Amino acid sequence: MRCLFDKATGKRWLNVWSGQFGIVLALFATCTVLALLCPQFLGMANLTNVVRQVSINGILAVGVTFVLLTGGVDLSLGSVVALTGVAAAHLAHPGDFPLAIPVMAGLLAGAACGGVNGLVVTRGSVPPFIATLGMMTVARGLALVLSNGRPVSNMSPAMTRIAGDCAHVPIPTLILAAVALGAWWMLRNTRQGRYLYAVGGNGQAARAAGINVRGVKFLAYMLCGALAGLAGVVLAARITTGQPNAGTAYELDAIAAVVIGGTSLSGGVGGVGGTLLGVLLMGVIGNGLDLLNVSSYYQLIIKGIIIVGAVWFDRRHQTAGKEHGR
Amino acid sequence: MRKRIVVALAVLCGCGRQERPEARDARPVIGVSLLNMANEFIVTIQEAMKERADELGVRLILNDAQRSPERQVQQIETFIAQKVDAIVLNPCEVEASSPAVQKALAAGIPIVNVNSETRVSPTAFVGSRDEESARIGMDYLARRLNGTGGVLMMEGYMGQAAQIKRSAGARDVLKKQPGLQLLASQSAEWDRAKAVTLMENWLQSYGKNVRAVFAQNDEMAMGALLAIERAGRKDDIVVVGVDAIRDALQAVRDGRLAATVFQDGRGQGRGAIETALHLIRKEPFTGETFIPFQLVTQENVAKFMP
Repeated sequence: MRCLFDKATGKRWLNVWSGQFGIVLALFATCTVLALLCPQFLGMANLTNVVRQVSINGILAVGVTFVLLTGGVDLSLGSVVALTGVAAAHLAHPGDFPLAIPVMAGLLAGAACGGVNGLVVTRGSVPPFIATLGMMTVARGLALVLSNGRPVSNMSPAMTRIAGDCAHVPIPTLILAAVALGAWWMLRNTRQGRYLYAVGGNGQAARAAGINVRGVKFLAYMLCGALAGLAGVVLAARITTGQPNAGTAYELDAIAAVVIGGTSLSGGVGGVGGTLLGVLLMGVIGNGLDLLNVSSYYQLIIKGIIIVGAVWFDRRHQTAGKEHGR
Repeated sequence: MRKRIVVALAVLCGCGRQERPEARDARPVIGVSLLNMANEFIVTIQEAMKERADELGVRLILNDAQRSPERQVQQIETFIAQKVDAIVLNPCEVEASSPAVQKALAAGIPIVNVNSETRVSPTAFVGSRDEESARIGMDYLARRLNGTGGVLMMEGYMGQAAQIKRSAGARDVLKKQPGLQLLASQSAEWDRAKAVTLMENWLQSYGKNVRAVFAQNDEMAMGALLAIERAGRKDDIVVVGVDAIRDALQAVRDGRLAATVFQDGRGQGRGAIETALHLIRKEPFTGETFIPFQLVTQENVAKFMP
């Protein structure tokens, strides 16, 4: 058993590095093209915008990395973002409560949604796709009920400060950095973190090795939900309202970023470093297309092609590397 | 076990209480299928309908099509099977919601379209001309800039009737104003968060050339405004939106948003129920009721505040 576990770990390292090579190349190429086409792209103000704009997708992507590593998926992210944003906004009117209350409410609401996902998946043996699809509609419905279908506005300055800057660095970016660092450390250095890979790589073997597979999966969904709650709070601060229809299709952007970053949809392979690169690539593309004033119709086409192209290139590189190794 | 019995009893009693008065109910019934109850403006129309229906003694069956024309057609089929007295349709789509209108007409049930149109003409229409809203907003913007300067336009979800018509109306005005230069026109999909991001990027690419932003709805106008304020450009860029949602009215009153265009959702909702009732009673009715848009600026905002 010990031997099997080590082998999986070794393979993981190989894949992580080759995966990151492809994505680094794609990111570098995109940035070079954009820098050549529009002089503003490399300006400090614009780069600050890019890291600000990717932070919400980044927080979500880090969360869903945990879930994808276990071989699951979470489709409820966008709705949970809306629900937690509305919940936080309700508690963030000026003079109501100290800032910690709305922030904690968002985080806890997110963790609760994630926890329910985790329970339904592990205890109810419902496929993650269906379990989280259910949560996607339930959370959206709750957001609409809680807000009466209307944006919740009149937010305290303390709350909107979350989307502001701290010494010229956007606070959302700092939050993403802290989240990513924490996740990276957890995946590398904690037992739970290593178990996530083991469960996703080979659930049977992990169970035979005495790992509490259900517990590990539950933890992944709950962490993912809590981070979606955090993203919901940041989004609400950024747009100074809790929007019941915010966050539509955010889960797809987050999952795309994670997969671009080299995490396998079937679990066991990947990591936070790649996820951040995937998030950056998607952010840079969106920013660049706006700067170049590419028509909205073509933006959709170009984004789709780059997403699929990046993953295609990456996988080709990986298989080539493996064959070479043999 | 005991718990289960209690629950079952509660359910039974609950149902009984609901059904009994309905069986004897002689009020006329109107089936309503709405585009999307997650949209603030549609919620306003819906609330006005409920209010007017209560006043007139009409029973409403309210359905949410959740943006799906296919679901909307199904809802109309259900209304026909339920033998409602009239139908009010808030169409999802010009072409794809047309079969819903056809089916109602074929079944001999009068149908009123509210807020937007379908290709097939219904019995009556109550709504506003979307081109007009953009024309009013863009005209105001031109006046504020004295006819010269760089303008950005944020469009709605591409391909929707409102986006197409508001773009057409805005471009009509731009054609007559050669001094106004349209720097860029992009979709932010009616969404506030997307509008913040788009505006941040635009401020990078067009910098000091930007003098005004016309957003095709208030959600996007509020997003653009946030990005402009955070960039410290509030005093030299004029932002105008459409719809007069609560947040936007507040922003107009506070002098942050230059103007919005009021679309009378309440008037549309009430008008639709009134027209439907005329049809049920076979009274004379107006085939097409157009509720006018109104410009809202700091001077007159008070009368639009809830």
